[in-house]
Amino acid sequence: MRVYNWIFAVPDYAANLLTIIPARNEAATVGEIVRRVRAAVGGDVLVVNDASDDETSAQASNAGATVLDLPLRLGAWGAAQTGLRYARRNRYAVALTLDADGQHHPEELPRLVSAWLASGANVAIGTYPQRLSKAKRLAARYFHLITGIGVQDFTSGLRVYDRRAIRALAAREASLLDYQDLGVLMLLRSHGLKLAEVPTPMSQRRNGGSRVFSSWPTVLRYMLHTSVLCFAQIGAVRSGTRA
Amino acid sequence: MNAVQLTAAVIGALLAGTILLLVRRTHLHGSYALWWFAVAGAILVLGVFPPAIDWLGHVTGIHYPPVIPIIIGIGMILVRLLTMDIGRSRNERQLRRLTQKLAILEQELAQLRRDKPRKFSGKGAKVIPMPKSGDG
Repeated sequence: MRVYNWIFAVPDYAANLLTIIPARNEAATVGEIVRRVRAAVGGDVLVVNDASDDETSAQASNAGATVLDLPLRLGAWGAAQTGLRYARRNRYAVALTLDADGQHHPEELPRLVSAWLASGANVAIGTYPQRLSKAKRLAARYFHLITGIGVQDFTSGLRVYDRRAIRALAAREASLLDYQDLGVLMLLRSHGLKLAEVPTPMSQRRNGGSRVFSSWPTVLRYMLHTSVLCFAQIGAVRSGTRA
Repeated sequence: MNAVQLTAAVIGALLAGTILLLVRRTHLHGSYALWWFAVAGAILVLGVFPPAIDWLGHVTGIHYPPVIPIIIGIGMILVRLLTMDIGRSRNERQLRRLTQKLAILEQELAQLRRDKPRKFSGKGAKVIPMPKSGDG
């Protein structure tokens, strides 16, 4: 049977599960998200405050989360990786990540975890294909072509990682990635880890569309950046144990 | 010694002097100093002994020797730029990891202070005598 079933079989399984919420200037929503995660999942909740200018840290702390305050802004992936390093340091078996802006519903987390367990994959990505823009679908198809990774919503921050994935992503080689996207997924694949995509209902972002897919120059820069990363990784993917 | 040789010699000597000064004042890290010394040396040699350029042209098959210093110069600049970007990437990685580690350790320290507040009050701490004078 599944390796991780024991986590949920023992009464204090929650001690092995860490929910990581990277947050930058999300004081308006982070407290509520933390409370909803604690109610829905239990376990420890870690908010990684990405050098916010507002009360994000205090709000998260008041809601019962452990808070890591980054002194410099590291971006969404840098903050998420900080959480994964914390998870590795404190020997958590499972790490969940979700965004602090309310687009991911904490109530969906148990379902995501069950789907992840059923899939047998090391990493599950919660995605909501219905909300994807045409540009993003096109980008997903293009990246599928050049990397072979067929994840539809590859920038989704709603994810479940097992211990092996946590170890792979907490390492130095993941520290120069700039986005929580294909670079991370390719690194996981080069370690021979399996990915699963789990359809999960989500809301639209509070502040409109995706940050990466906001304007054409940004999209162009992102596409070039990620394409170079993909092409550079082709050899590494082949040499790894392919999942 | 003609005007060109004098100019090159002065530039080379000034560069070498500046580098020495920068290393002395610890503004320039060891391996960088070595690189810039080599650059200063090359300017000195090629400037003061123009036959070296003609000899290089003969050896490399370049029929118009005056472009050799330019080619070497641009090549060295490219190599230097590349190594700079490699170094910057390494620094960026280290900075990011340090930032993450700092945040994690800060949280652990705060947790420890909350759990055992008296242990960190400083009372009963043993003072370790430090040497009065040192070499650094």
